[in-house]
Amino acid sequence: MNRRYFLSSALAVTGFAGCSRDSRPRLNIFNWSAYIAPDTVPKFEAVFGARVRYGTYESNEEMLARVMGGNSGWDIAFPTSYIVKPMLANSLLAPIHRNLLPNLSQLEPRFGRPDWDPNLNWSVPYMVTAAGIAYNRRLDPLPKAWSDMWNPRLRGRMTMLDDPFDTIGACLKKLGCSVNAIDPTQLYGARAEAIRQKPLLRAYLNAEARDQLVSGDILAAHMWNTTAQQAMDSAPNIGFVYPAEGYAVYPDACVILRESKHQKLAHEFINFLLRPDIAAANALTARTTTTNAGARKILPPNFRDNPTLYPGPEIVARGEWAVTLDPATQRLRDRIWTEIKAA
Amino acid sequence: MNRLRAWFLAPSWIVIVILFLTPLAIILGYSFLTRGVYGGITSPWTVESYQRLVDPIYLAILWRSFWIAGVSTALCLLLGFPLALFISRAGRHKNFYLGLVMLPFWTSFLVRTYAWMFLLRDTGLLNTVLEKLGLIRSPLPLLYNDGAVILGLVYGYLPFTVLPLYATLERLDRTLLEAAADLGAKPWATLAHITIPLSSPGIRAGAILVFIPCLGAYLTPDLLGGGKSVMIGNLIQNQFTTARDWPFGSAVSLVLMAIVMLLLFVIARGEGESLL
Amino acid sequence: MFSFNASRFTVWQGFSLHWYSAALHDSQLTDAALNSLIIAIVATFVSTIVGTLCAYGLWKRNSRPLGGSLYLSLVTPEIVAGIALLAFYQWIFRFLRVQLGMYTVILAHVSFCIAYVVIVVIARLRTVDATLEEAALDLGANEWQAFRYVTLPAILPGIIAAALLAFTVSFDDYVITSLVAGVDSETLPMVIYAIARRGVNPVVNAISALIVVGFGSLVLVSERLRTA
Repeated sequence: MNRRYFLSSALAVTGFAGCSRDSRPRLNIFNWSAYIAPDTVPKFEAVFGARVRYGTYESNEEMLARVMGGNSGWDIAFPTSYIVKPMLANSLLAPIHRNLLPNLSQLEPRFGRPDWDPNLNWSVPYMVTAAGIAYNRRLDPLPKAWSDMWNPRLRGRMTMLDDPFDTIGACLKKLGCSVNAIDPTQLYGARAEAIRQKPLLRAYLNAEARDQLVSGDILAAHMWNTTAQQAMDSAPNIGFVYPAEGYAVYPDACVILRESKHQKLAHEFINFLLRPDIAAANALTARTTTTNAGARKILPPNFRDNPTLYPGPEIVARGEWAVTLDPATQRLRDRIWTEIKAA
Repeated sequence: MNRLRAWFLAPSWIVIVILFLTPLAIILGYSFLTRGVYGGITSPWTVESYQRLVDPIYLAILWRSFWIAGVSTALCLLLGFPLALFISRAGRHKNFYLGLVMLPFWTSFLVRTYAWMFLLRDTGLLNTVLEKLGLIRSPLPLLYNDGAVILGLVYGYLPFTVLPLYATLERLDRTLLEAAADLGAKPWATLAHITIPLSSPGIRAGAILVFIPCLGAYLTPDLLGGGKSVMIGNLIQNQFTTARDWPFGSAVSLVLMAIVMLLLFVIARGEGESLL
Repeated sequence: MFSFNASRFTVWQGFSLHWYSAALHDSQLTDAALNSLIIAIVATFVSTIVGTLCAYGLWKRNSRPLGGSLYLSLVTPEIVAGIALLAFYQWIFRFLRVQLGMYTVILAHVSFCIAYVVIVVIARLRTVDATLEEAALDLGANEWQAFRYVTLPAILPGIIAAALLAFTVSFDDYVITSLVAGVDSETLPMVIYAIARRGVNPVVNAISALIVVGFGSLVLVSERLRTA
């Protein structure tokens, strides 16, 4: 009895779900949330006569879990740079044909031959994020380095990112090591630093820290520059600094999934994204740093010279790109993160 | 008698075997495999994940989780019982009140948790009101500690006690209560000696329905606890996401599940009844 | 109730209906809400029926393996259940050329809702006198009639409570749904989670208030109909 009901309702539902069918080619794009201008997709649909389904995610792992099986239904995804190699190793990516991407020349030179994919055979850089310190200008003196986050005057009024790579990375930088360190001694040193800092912490927060900073609950926060920019947009008394010891940088890239049945159309979309006007619109909406040199030229001056998103060359030089870590190190870091959290 | 029963049980068996036991078997397999180079699963088969578990830090995490879940469950029962009692006595408007209780719980769990954060923050509603009333000088640290986590858990899982309790209380024979009253028992005594024991199936159901999810909770400790402490749910969550160590995550979950099942079994044996 | 007020307050900070219209006009939100509703209704329907039958069967005579498996499904952390189902689906999909979609979500929801239904209904069944059915059988009814006319009415409030619980659990589910959802099957919790993760946003509060009002009126209407 109930089997009949089940079958008929299942059929009804699938019928419902499939009833919106039109003949235009479909492209399914999976991107970070709030990472594109609202008119980019409609413009693309109009120019190429395609129909786009746009889904979003909040973390690389979420995206990975969905596409790992090879039949998720998505055509394009935007992993952070250090995820590209794992995806490639798991045969998830389709090769990028550079001849189909005439706009590739618009990329900034430093992103034209990135570490994770020197010939851009598998990915195309999109935007860049970095981590630093956001603070309330009331603080005197203003924070300038990671070591300032260990200052007792901030007790209970500051947060660090709830992200193992970022927080352990900050501790490593404070000790003068690389954010990609694999030496256990260095990592244990970082752990000691983090545990030392924990009593001063209010919490480990990501985006929530922005609201707390704006409302005055906290005075300083370990924050990504895009989030900090959002905070600064809503409150003039917030500032941002790239710490003196150095900081982690996360470019993310656009990839085509191997399961995609519309690879040519996917290439068209990537090429479309590389158009300076489109890239500029995306960067403006998402309040991020674009990897597109052509776009940078046409950004409005107050955005283009924004020191949080487009810092000067000396600051850029201090940044360090996050790389994929080997499993043994990953496991050690994860263990250390658990120990820090449980302390 | 057995034929009908077999038909009745068949659909559940089908669903459980296909949609639960088989996937679980896959997880069991995962726990004995190795983490792939960049996440995922590869051979060789190994018990390494389980060996890693034998470590005081994980025991501490387990203990904490049990403690927090236990307190939350107790509070849920304490709060849920009067509520369920009230609804079961409500006569014609029973379903209406039931719906009313459930109503806030159809908004997203996440939103309600955020609402709590909004209330408990230093500049949040509660502190602002208390300060305006002159009761406190500086804001109370209401958020980002165990208390906030328990509050969030209790708030989130209250209907899981109200509903089963209501299901049993509604059935309660009023004449028993009347008889007790006639015999001179005070309301409290009636409550303690008649109502509560007779609703024990509901209490048991409610306790289980709250304790177990609380054990595996990760969103609430993360958001309301400020990520400063690790519950076993956070640990497992972390393994399947950031750490991308599925074998270890599977091993931890299976061990957790085994411990809880053992506990349930012992409790059931102790009461001389079967699990359900 | 205090619980409603919590979400209301956060909305009133905004002081305008702007957020409500924004929420309603956002097609992503309305699509997701519709998806959630469909999934929850179907899953509740199926799991309540299957679960009630199961509870009755178990009440008659316990089955250790089935009872144990049901408990096991409750005890499983959501992320594990989600990953397990995802792995299972992907394994199956190697033989069938299909993808994740609404039906994968519905099936997943049914699988975890059943245990909830069984527990609530069994708790109710425990309060029913077994001899009533025997009496019916003695009077010439067959098993099915005994169930249908004697026991079923007695446990109806329990079934309703169980259905409500199943609906809540299904509608609100995030973890499992997000793992097994396909391209077209985004649900409300998934969307809300995405928005809320980026910080406090009045749109989210507007949605919650809308849901409360929507379901509230449903409850009111059903009550009016019932007592009319």
